[in-house]
Amino acid sequence: MSAPSFDAVVIGGGHNGLVNAAYLARAGLKVLVLERRPRVGGAAVSEQVFPGFTFSVYSYVVSLLRPEIIRDLDLPACGLEILPLESTFTPLPGGDYLVRWADHDLTRRELYRHSPRDAEAYDEFGRLMVQLAFAVKPLLDLVPPDPTSLEPSDLLGLLKLARYVRSLGRDRVTALVKLMTMSAADFLEEWFESEPLKATMSASGIIGTFLGPRSPGTAYVLLHHYLGEIDGVFRAWGFARGGTGAVSEAIATAARRLGVAIRTGAPVARVLTRGGRARGVVLESGEEIPAKLVISALDPKRTFLHLVDPAELPGELVEGIRRYRTRGSSAKVNLALSELPDFTCLPGPGPHLSGAISISPSVAYLERAYDDAKYGSFSRRPYLDIVIPSLIDRGMAPPGRHVMSVFVQYAPYTLRGGWTDAQREALGDAVVETLAEYAPNLPRAILHRQVLTPADMEREIGLTEGNIFHGELSLHQLFCLRPVAPWAQYRTPIAGYYQCGSGTHPGGGICGAPGRLAARQILRDLRR
Amino acid sequence: MSRRYDVIVIGAGHNGLTAAAYVARAGLRVLVLERRPTAGGCAATEEFHPGYRADAYAHRLGAFDPRVARDLALERQGVEFVRPDPARLALGGGRALLLYRSPERTASALQSLDPHDAARWPAFCRRIADAVALLEALRRRDPPSMPAPSLGDLAALARTALGLRLKGRSRFAEVLRLLPMPAADLLDEWFQDPLLKGSLAASAVSGLMQGPYGAGTVYGLLQHLGPGEHPGGEVVLVRGGMERLVAALEAAARKAGAEIRCGVAAERVVGEGGGGGCVVLAAGESLSARAVVSTLDPKRTLLGLVGPERLGPAVARQVAHLRLHGVVAKVHLALAELPRFAGAEGEDALRGAITIAPSVEYVERAYDDAKYGRISQHPVLEAVIPTLLDPGLAPAGRHVMSVMVQYAPYRLAAGAWDAARREALAEAVVQRLAEYAPDLPRAVLGRQVLAPPDLEDRLGLTEGDIFHGQPALDQTWFMRPLAGWARYRLPVPGLYLGGAGAHPGGGVTAGPGYGVARAVLRDLRRR
Repeated sequence: MSAPSFDAVVIGGGHNGLVNAAYLARAGLKVLVLERRPRVGGAAVSEQVFPGFTFSVYSYVVSLLRPEIIRDLDLPACGLEILPLESTFTPLPGGDYLVRWADHDLTRRELYRHSPRDAEAYDEFGRLMVQLAFAVKPLLDLVPPDPTSLEPSDLLGLLKLARYVRSLGRDRVTALVKLMTMSAADFLEEWFESEPLKATMSASGIIGTFLGPRSPGTAYVLLHHYLGEIDGVFRAWGFARGGTGAVSEAIATAARRLGVAIRTGAPVARVLTRGGRARGVVLESGEEIPAKLVISALDPKRTFLHLVDPAELPGELVEGIRRYRTRGSSAKVNLALSELPDFTCLPGPGPHLSGAISISPSVAYLERAYDDAKYGSFSRRPYLDIVIPSLIDRGMAPPGRHVMSVFVQYAPYTLRGGWTDAQREALGDAVVETLAEYAPNLPRAILHRQVLTPADMEREIGLTEGNIFHGELSLHQLFCLRPVAPWAQYRTPIAGYYQCGSGTHPGGGICGAPGRLAARQILRDLRR
Repeated sequence: MSRRYDVIVIGAGHNGLTAAAYVARAGLRVLVLERRPTAGGCAATEEFHPGYRADAYAHRLGAFDPRVARDLALERQGVEFVRPDPARLALGGGRALLLYRSPERTASALQSLDPHDAARWPAFCRRIADAVALLEALRRRDPPSMPAPSLGDLAALARTALGLRLKGRSRFAEVLRLLPMPAADLLDEWFQDPLLKGSLAASAVSGLMQGPYGAGTVYGLLQHLGPGEHPGGEVVLVRGGMERLVAALEAAARKAGAEIRCGVAAERVVGEGGGGGCVVLAAGESLSARAVVSTLDPKRTLLGLVGPERLGPAVARQVAHLRLHGVVAKVHLALAELPRFAGAEGEDALRGAITIAPSVEYVERAYDDAKYGRISQHPVLEAVIPTLLDPGLAPAGRHVMSVMVQYAPYRLAAGAWDAARREALAEAVVQRLAEYAPDLPRAVLGRQVLAPPDLEDRLGLTEGDIFHGQPALDQTWFMRPLAGWARYRLPVPGLYLGGAGAHPGGGVTAGPGYGVARAVLRDLRRR
């Protein structure tokens, strides 16, 4: 049987690989997606880890899935249903709590209880952030112009960018520069005084970085929370019915409808090249699949150092990729529960459990959690971002039971002494103990527990060093520097070989933008 | 109303005097008002123990503007800038390392510590030279007006960018990447030896309420380097102490016709209305001028001299949120004899700066304490022994050691900066030094501690921030002190900022003084 020939092979069936494949197919290319694991999804998968209990095993919320993608690929028709995740509940050690509700008036009243000043500032802050989110949005939909290039198209891109920045006006430019260069804690300190509010908001700035909330460069992620709202489709954070795997499944369905072939259980050994051009891929089984285009959705280290022979690449690029920072700093704990957690500060079931639950009582708490990680331990009292999807999507757990997804930071990949089974369980214990301080019934409600360390994530889903964003989202690894300049435009030095994973602009999270922008770049190159 | 002055400069620190000298040289009538009994501000040499004198605040120069040295003929007036070589003696982990002016000599000094690092040092110096040169170029020009830079700004920026680009695409990309990085990451990319990395990390966080793991600290490492200087080697001293520099600047200003009145504190600055000038209220007098230059820090200038009510709520809020953090204390030791540091033979090794920062982690842990409002249990130290340059600062055969201690936060989580705490800090410093110079404690004849609140009281530095505002990326260049007001003019017509809170920032550099004089002259000629 002769294999059908493909125009493009996409390596990695995560959400970015699938989005990329779908867009290429939409433009008329014959595309094959190769996925190493038995199912598509990569880090966005739903699995029945324990009988009857389904988890979004790795990533757990849908943030910023670009509305254009939802529209272009008609994902709702492919089974995607996003359920909003509307409140954030921060229990506090002294028996108090802070909840930010979906309802504006409720939130205001709640904030007022902590600080009348903060309640006043919150609305003004929100307005500024929405303005800034509007200002930033076009940058997320842009192939970053290369400032080191003297090509007319890049110079034009830079000029357009400069003109755009200019059009924003002084106040917004100032606020944007501050957002890009300040620490989340300092930025929020200009607005708020309540510790749990500052801490819970700044926590979003540290996710996926190896930085504390007081480190510059952590402020800009605050914007993400306001980006979703302006799209008017759904809020910034939500669940997919059926878990994040349902997002991948919906994109896969859309891709298949557009003619994309998807092969799972097909690990790629390397990219075939000849004469500085990609010619296809060879699977670990030895099977060769020829194609004119090869697109890697893997992280930059794998894309440049494993899939191709680094000797074929310029030394500077190889050096740049070697020093590209991918320190994993987070872990995931999945719990199957016999009952809901009962928080001392807000007892019983209630709407506060249906949103995010954040263990982030103060900025100092987060900094102490970071301090542990800096010196090679996991946080004894970590920052936790918790959701209980079974409250919104009943199908995730047997009746009356629940699934709880706990994002844990910091858990450094480079743990002193390495990640052993004992260390993994010790991390799980630290998480449960931390939670038990706020919800004492939790330990006895646990039926099953799954702990995924950065080392596990590297082994299971191929994230180098377990970094959930395919590389830290720090200032020197963003925009035209992601993953390294001047290779931030989805191309590689090998003709026909492209990158489309979270290690490219605009980075991680289930947003799909890298996959879409890479497709745009590939199609533009094809037309030339 | 006839005016007696064209320009009034508030504060006779080195920037105030520099500005006064330039403006007076252009033929304008200038008055300098200084609250303290003598000129100098942070650049002052004072007696701290009977018979012992030291640079009480800044004890070495920043990247001093060569134009000022040349225009005001400072060297002819007896100022001698000394560039000790070796520039720095780094101590830590029971070892010693000398950093020289020439990368090759440093490399050979590193050879015995770590041959791998020795081989990489010259390449590292070459690799970051582009970024150092870029910062130098930006320092020497006014920041662009944002967000709508003028054509001139754009042309200058394009020229700078093109110059960089012509050196090679990857070198350009490297510069873009460097500045926002954490110093710890950059050092890890290049080196393995903890002592080398620790001493450079200490330079990177000098005066900053940040640790070397914090993003943007590579900017900290590079921003104080003058042209041709290498990290850790940015040590330039003034023979005889900072007072020589101040005396020369003062003489230059007076010679050009400026009037300097010490012991007169400016209390308020009010706009004149109509004329576009300003009135300074000081000691019951009302002095009017076409322009007023404040060299006080931006908070003191705008919230104190001007007053929030005149700024409007939006600007007042921005000013209130400027980050001024004191993190440095000074300890001065009167010594019966020259300390002997293990591993550092001969006096030459002690002529530059002496740093105790054994590793990056040590520096970061010192910051951890400050982050929670505590004085570092194991602080980062930078000492100089000025008596090796000028024995006249102490009685014959005796010595003086000036130590910058970091981190000593202005705001303490518990308790206050009382006498006991100052003594404990001095004791901790002496103990730390004694680990490398065991004879030192016995040689201490007297000591003085200046904590951040002392710097605030004596010099008017808000929160004791030695740089008039943290030199972080968000408070630099066109954001310093505030976006839209980074070209020395302030939101009050006729009022200018010319101290370390203005571009190009802190350190004894005369850069802001030079820049503000240029801005004032340009504006006054236009009117």
